[in-house]
Amino acid sequence: MVDASVAKRLVQAIIDNLPEPVPGRRPVHTIGIGVKGEFVASDVARTYCIAEHFNGQPVPVSVRFSNGLGGLEQHDGWSDVRGMAIRFHLPDGTGSDLIATTLGEFFVRNVADFFEFAKVAKREPYQRRHWLLKIADFLRLKVPPRNPYPNETENVDAGALRYANRHRFSQLGIFQVGSIGAPESYARASYHAVHTFWVTAPDGVRRPVRFSWQPVAGVRNIDPADVSRDKYLFKELEDRLKRWPARFMLMMIIGEAGDALDDPTKPWPATRVRVVMGTLTLTEVPKDQEAAGERISFNPCRLAPGIEASNDPILEARRCAYEVSRELRDGCPFRWRPDNANSK
Amino acid sequence: MPIPSDEGWIDRFVDRLPETRLFKLVASWILVPLWARLTPVKPLPGGPHPSFQHGDNVQCMMNLIMPLKDKSPVGRALAALAIAQNKEAIFAGLNNVGTVHFARFVIVGDNICMFSVYDGDFTNYIRDFIATIGSVFNAVVELVEGGEEVIPCEDNVEAFIQWVHERDLYQVPDTATDFLRDQEALNGDRAVSPVNDDLTLLPRKLVLQLRANPNVSLGSGYRAYPGFSVAQVRKHLGVGW
Ligand code: HEM
Repeated sequence: MVDASVAKRLVQAIIDNLPEPVPGRRPVHTIGIGVKGEFVASDVARTYCIAEHFNGQPVPVSVRFSNGLGGLEQHDGWSDVRGMAIRFHLPDGTGSDLIATTLGEFFVRNVADFFEFAKVAKREPYQRRHWLLKIADFLRLKVPPRNPYPNETENVDAGALRYANRHRFSQLGIFQVGSIGAPESYARASYHAVHTFWVTAPDGVRRPVRFSWQPVAGVRNIDPADVSRDKYLFKELEDRLKRWPARFMLMMIIGEAGDALDDPTKPWPATRVRVVMGTLTLTEVPKDQEAAGERISFNPCRLAPGIEASNDPILEARRCAYEVSRELRDGCPFRWRPDNANSK
Repeated sequence: MPIPSDEGWIDRFVDRLPETRLFKLVASWILVPLWARLTPVKPLPGGPHPSFQHGDNVQCMMNLIMPLKDKSPVGRALAALAIAQNKEAIFAGLNNVGTVHFARFVIVGDNICMFSVYDGDFTNYIRDFIATIGSVFNAVVELVEGGEEVIPCEDNVEAFIQWVHERDLYQVPDTATDFLRDQEALNGDRAVSPVNDDLTLLPRKLVLQLRANPNVSLGSGYRAYPGFSVAQVRKHLGVGW
């Protein structure tokens, strides 16, 4: 179990790397928008998992989409990881959360890695690379670091690269962050919950799985030259939902013996069985964004009976860290089932 | 070195340099051969990565590109005929062997290509096909450069399997950085953290790898229903054996 002091240090490490403190707000994924909708499980979902939201009855959901960067500045057009946190509201008033991002794999394996990463990947001044150095890069068949975005003076790119050069396990995640781009819409990106979870079927069989959301509208990024479009994602989503609901399919990938169960840096092969677990339909951006987008608080370990966290140390660390962060920003507490609250 | 804060014309010019014809010519005629000499890259072996896991052993890909001896419309027509004349044999073989999801023959340029998706071990796949449709292989391979050395395949089973394997394309992994792991494995580099890599060299490493393996399969294939064998699909659909 990750104790509270470690969780506090994790959150503090994130806060310390912010351009400026953001009291009352999330220290990462600060900018976000709450959305309402409904999830309906597929016919087969219940044969794989006994969790209530997979039994086929529609369940209401609360979703929060976000930009990954911490801080109050909104730069929708910048290349950045996007978040999609969802709560399935169960009939007894409890909930089951699933937190996902556009990044398929994480870049650290455990808490010790995270602290080392936080030490190495500090914000540093970021300037355009001199043209002579760029020519030297071209001659070495390297791609020079991108030009700074308008008004971008600092970032963690150089430190993250230094970290990746030292640790092969982090290279996939960090490389992907560098090339992830900006989606045309929050409803036009795939989101991955990264960690392994265990699901229990009605016959008692437990399977290791990973979850991903796939947008029915298809995946599409904006032109990378459009980086100066700072604010378009909220309005795009509101306009989209006024016209028509947005849908996502929940895919569940079933792991096999030998697949990484406790390491979020390791991808699973594309050859694993994929099951369609249901369809999410987003209908409305509530007016009260203070409640729907700000105070609402998710936790990756808040899980309905039938879904369990794996022993992934990052997942385990997030359980406590997200509560610490919620308390710091006075986020809305949400009922935990007693058997789920401290099960690790 | 002083870093200019504002973008000047020279910055804009340099940013666009890689897209210019001149730079592309310099890169392909000078830089790529130069770096290939300075930092040699070995060709990576073709076919699926060895794995004991079920999902990796069903719906495996074979991608053969075989240069025709006769590089003319006549040569291509001969290849097309060889396939057409053996249609019955191919269907019968597919049904009997029962591990192939599909097989396609495609002529691209002056190459006859065979792309297939099969279950199980590669050597068994080819061995089974030699047994059932060896004559088709012979008819096709006869038209291909270097093919005469391994036909009739029934008499040269191991050499034939090796010949096919050598022509099976390298399957670039699905994830961006995993071909680096393949390179490291081939070079016997088993270093673990901390290492001293330079991730910004990824573009060059990819260019040089694609110089060493000019034809590759991009990724392991995009499957609509991964993880199922021909036998499972047939059983669930109720189409027998
Ligand atoms: C040790 C690793 C991690 C730490 C310390 C960490 C920390 C945090 C913290 C403190 C928050 C704000 C929580 C709140 O105030 O409600 C947050 C939000 C978030 N994190 Fe993480 N995180 C980690 C790993 C991950 C991973 C692996 C993912 C990918 C699935 C992820 C996705 C998100 C998302 C999407 C949000 C926004 C949730 C929302 O909209 O409420 N995080 N993270």
